[in-house]
Amino acid sequence: MRHVRGFDVVRPLSIGMLVFMMLPLVFLPLASIFIFGTSKGLNSFWAALMAPEAIFALKLSMATSFWATVFNVLFGLFAAYVLSRYNFWGRNALIVTISLPTAIPTAVAGFALLLLWGPYGTLGRFMTPNYEIMFTAGAIILANIFVTFPLAFGVIKPVFDTMSRSLEEASATIGATRWQTFWHVTLPSLRGAIVSGALLTFARAVGEFGSTILVSGNLAGRTQTAPLYIFAKFNEGQIEAANAIAIVLALFSFLIFSVLFFARDWLDVD
Amino acid sequence: MVKARETLIPNAVEPSATLANPSPGPPLAAASVMGLSKRFGKTSVLEDINFDVAEGEVLVLLGASGSGKTTILRIMAGLELPETGKVILHGKDVTDLPARERGVGVIFQSYALFPKMTVEKNIGYGLRIRKRKRKEIRDTVNELLALVQLEEHRKKYPSQLSGGQQQRVAIARTLAYNPEVLLFDEPFGALDTQTRVHLRREIKALLRKVNVPSIFITHDQEEALELGDRVAVLNQGHLEQVGTPYEIYSHPATEYVATFLGAANILEATVRNDFLEVGSAHLSAPLDKLKSGDCVKIVFRPEDVVLSKSEFIRPGVSKIATAQIEEISFVGAYERVRLRLERPEECATEESPYYLTTETPERQSTKAIIATRPKPEAAAIKLQIGDRVVVALTSFTVLGHKETQK
Repeated sequence: MRHVRGFDVVRPLSIGMLVFMMLPLVFLPLASIFIFGTSKGLNSFWAALMAPEAIFALKLSMATSFWATVFNVLFGLFAAYVLSRYNFWGRNALIVTISLPTAIPTAVAGFALLLLWGPYGTLGRFMTPNYEIMFTAGAIILANIFVTFPLAFGVIKPVFDTMSRSLEEASATIGATRWQTFWHVTLPSLRGAIVSGALLTFARAVGEFGSTILVSGNLAGRTQTAPLYIFAKFNEGQIEAANAIAIVLALFSFLIFSVLFFARDWLDVD
Repeated sequence: MVKARETLIPNAVEPSATLANPSPGPPLAAASVMGLSKRFGKTSVLEDINFDVAEGEVLVLLGASGSGKTTILRIMAGLELPETGKVILHGKDVTDLPARERGVGVIFQSYALFPKMTVEKNIGYGLRIRKRKRKEIRDTVNELLALVQLEEHRKKYPSQLSGGQQQRVAIARTLAYNPEVLLFDEPFGALDTQTRVHLRREIKALLRKVNVPSIFITHDQEEALELGDRVAVLNQGHLEQVGTPYEIYSHPATEYVATFLGAANILEATVRNDFLEVGSAHLSAPLDKLKSGDCVKIVFRPEDVVLSKSEFIRPGVSKIATAQIEEISFVGAYERVRLRLERPEECATEESPYYLTTETPERQSTKAIIATRPKPEAAAIKLQIGDRVVVALTSFTVLGHKETQK
């Protein structure tokens, strides 16, 4: 900005204004978690974190998110392969359908799953009580899969689209089978997309609340995930207990996004 | 399918051995295509393409973009299916085999090196997927790295190499599994002119060493003449002529071949009993298959033209006309002269199919030709614009009738 004479006041002003606007919107809410959580000392924070129900909730969140991520990355990979390699009637309809879950309110997603798999649901009514899906960890995984459905797909598909076909053709002329080509040539080029897709999916699943609270039943020590634990403890007035888990979740997402941000270059080296 | 590797570099053949036998019979052919045709929708891309490549030979498919040369290459590689016709590699019909079972080596225009593999991993890929022993893979990769002189770059990734180095990796990668034939898809297309000239000499030397039959496709006539033991000229999906660079340059079979390979002058001539009539001049030429009264075209290169200020011309050249000099330009190694012939040289016959050209009657009445003269001659006999000179030819070619149907 050297087209102005002397000191450019607009520069510090605009930067200051940006930070000031973000203060009440992002910085202060985040800071207050940490300020409040550590206000009574690290010992009480640690005690709140080590409560059996809290540990269970964190573990359950991690486990359900993990399996939803595994499924959605594999599915996203497969869907991206099919939808970018083959052109067929209804292809765009499928792409839109896969992307749809991001636009659906999570409570609606949970409700829809209940209507399908619940005790009186369309399919659920045929299930015996022993094989009940709803109100189990399985239901949480289903809900997580639903709400994070398009995330990995959305990251992987563009990479597939821009990938040069001649790499795969070269591999074929060298003598590789389709599977060998996929494993040795296609997959390595997707490494970066797969990792970022997985991290996005996982981060989103760990924080999922709206659909989980409907399908899990929110049973402490059985189907209560970390976000549900925060909500439950807050309702019971146990602010420290809620806050300890909130800090863990906040740090966790901060970590994931740092990895996504700084590891892009490393993941995409060629 | 893949023969055991005895040595990476078999005894190099005498370069002249392949040249001496420009059209080998079918038993000698390392690769051949027979009656290949292909259409995309309604447009016919290839029509009845036939050619052979002999063991150790380099054949260049030369054609403008859209001539179908890439399609031929892709069909030979197994990446595309022909409508009709066969692809035969070392006597085996591979038309219905998928690409991976053909054992051909394709060097793509973009090289298509695997970006996440180092140079040595790229080269060893063909052997790894064939589940060869580690030691064998290592030895072969070492041999090939030495062959293409990239030993110090073995641990690098393709993006860290120059275009020429990437191309050598691509060639080494295909040589690793003893390909039946090497197919080069415009291998120099992405490079600047200087590198291109340098690389094609390097690659020609390399191919002589490894002695694998190769097919290049290119739209660059200079490249084709320099690289090819033989050149096949393609025009809109059909093969115009296959021959040694000398043959197609000096004796083009069609007008397209004549004009595609450098500058060419084309005049009409009428066939008489035992000579050709060009304007008022008589030329002797082999006239078998032509009957008296036929209208044919003769082709000659600018360097085939001899200009003389007097009526006395040296023996061995045939006078065709007198002409006036319209333009003289100095083009480095030689002088380029544009002349206008003083007599119409068209065939007298009314039904001549050549009147279907876009030329107007005025322009048909006299015709410009281009001559070039080497520097010593240009210095010895100075010419000026407006001078009248005698035009004679050291050599010329009579084009077949085939061309008139196009």
